[in-house]
Amino acid sequence: MAKIISTHSFRGGTGKSNTTANLATLIAKAGYRVGVIDTDIQSPGIHVVFQFDQKKAKYALNDYLWGRCSIHDAAYDITEQCIGNVVPGALRPRLYIIPSSLNSGEIARILREGYDVAKLNDGLQELISTLDLDYLLIDTHPGVNEETLLSIAISDVLVLILRPDNQDFQGTAVTVELARRLDIPELLVVVNKVPEGVDENLIIEQVENGYQAEVAVMLPLNNEMSRLGSCGLFTNQYPNHPFTQGLKTLAERIIKSQK
Amino acid sequence: MLLGRMKSAAAPIRDVLKDLHTRLVANYEGRIADYIPELATASPDSFGIALCTTDGQVVEYGDYKTSFTIQSVSKPFMFGLAIGDHGLDHVLSKVGVEPTGEAFNSIVLDEVSNRPYNPMVNSGAIATADLVKGKDYPERVKRMLEMFSRYCGREVFVDNTVFMSERMTGHRNRAMAHLMRNFDMMSEKFEEALELYFQQCSILVNAHDLSVMGATLANGGLNPLTKIRAIESENVKYLLSIMMSCGMYDYAGEWAFRVGIPAKSGVAGGIVAVVPGVLGIGLYSPLLDIKGNSVRGVKACQELSQKFSLHAFESSAAASKILELFSFKKR
Repeated sequence: MAKIISTHSFRGGTGKSNTTANLATLIAKAGYRVGVIDTDIQSPGIHVVFQFDQKKAKYALNDYLWGRCSIHDAAYDITEQCIGNVVPGALRPRLYIIPSSLNSGEIARILREGYDVAKLNDGLQELISTLDLDYLLIDTHPGVNEETLLSIAISDVLVLILRPDNQDFQGTAVTVELARRLDIPELLVVVNKVPEGVDENLIIEQVENGYQAEVAVMLPLNNEMSRLGSCGLFTNQYPNHPFTQGLKTLAERIIKSQK
Repeated sequence: MLLGRMKSAAAPIRDVLKDLHTRLVANYEGRIADYIPELATASPDSFGIALCTTDGQVVEYGDYKTSFTIQSVSKPFMFGLAIGDHGLDHVLSKVGVEPTGEAFNSIVLDEVSNRPYNPMVNSGAIATADLVKGKDYPERVKRMLEMFSRYCGREVFVDNTVFMSERMTGHRNRAMAHLMRNFDMMSEKFEEALELYFQQCSILVNAHDLSVMGATLANGGLNPLTKIRAIESENVKYLLSIMMSCGMYDYAGEWAFRVGIPAKSGVAGGIVAVVPGVLGIGLYSPLLDIKGNSVRGVKACQELSQKFSLHAFESSAAASKILELFSFKKR
């Protein structure tokens, strides 16, 4: 049975897409078949981190939602470019991306007409089945909308990303409450962009007391990430960086967690 | 409501509906009704299924948004409106509650009382429409539309083209109204009642609406989505009883025996079914069997009833099986 992991943040700019893409790559590198779907249809971006050229994509998630293709048609194998050194024809590891369209007309149509979230759910289940995935990571739109709630509802693990920032802290409380009402099996809080010199124990205490949820990992604010500017996978370029080590801890935690 | 929708979208019952839909949509038995010209324009491919629970979860599949005219599915609801307006005893003095064993459009009345046999056949429905109160005709139409809107949880409208088509071709219904007027079973405003009847049959709904209407009855008359009362709870049992005994044209006896769920069908291809206390089922597929019921709709109800022990006289704990699948946790 595949495990569904949604990464979510209440506000934008928390590093959600970077975290998701790198986490997916680390899980795949551990020898699994992993899919990453960009359900942030209004402001897609995770393909940039994977350096996936949208021009090479005939179909995107939008096409599936409008009934123009099957969900499988919108999935692209990016194993070679993200992991490399894979035995030709090997079933594992594999990494797939299902991008959202960058076409402004497509985005406008979604905003104007919406889409059937139940169809999105069918697509996610079909994707797991046809690609024989071990893990499906869902990169969600920040805030709370239908697609976010659906992702939360079907997730085995919800990774909530926030910065040590009061607005993030208060907003995340809303998502935590919704996740509780949707009976999420496992809620992992990731505090990202933690500046050097802050009292980490204080942050952990604040989050765990406030949300009654465990802080799975604290990821440091770093210049290397800023310089990379989402142009590639951080964990590939800085394999020994504390940020990469933190994500590895998270990846191991997710792999070991029981359903 | 948003949380409910998300739970519904992810609920395993959706897979059951998808499987049911995939198998039954390939069945092209039956034919589309053509006695009203506008009905003949429906697509034989259309097939929508919707379930709405009494706690407001809605799970749907296929063409559940496709609009069609409500036709005879309207009849039990109008019966409820008449009971609310006049009380049961008065309504029963004008229309009986016995199954006929005759076709829905038979021109036949109870020889002793001169009443139509029941409100589910055309003559009974016309007599029922005659009972709807209002200071004038527009107010009666308005009250009728408001009543259906309360059940659906949205404002409903009449398809004027179908209404005109019904009116132009409704000679048999007109004959029934004249016959009943002859026996003093209808008021002097019987022409108005006929117009109201044609209007009620021409209201546009979809499978989603029918499931909500069914769920409203299943929920004792309270719409589970809007929490607005559509009918007094003490009158719901009368609608369900008449649907159980007479709801499926002259297949009603076998339906009660095999499926055991109060239901009403219409010649446009709609079926509403009610599992009291549990959920409403809305179906749409315009291919009809020889009795006038949706072929795919009947088969879908039969399968759901059997699979989840929904028959009213099932000895096991009815409905618990199906409600388990509304929980998205059970994937």
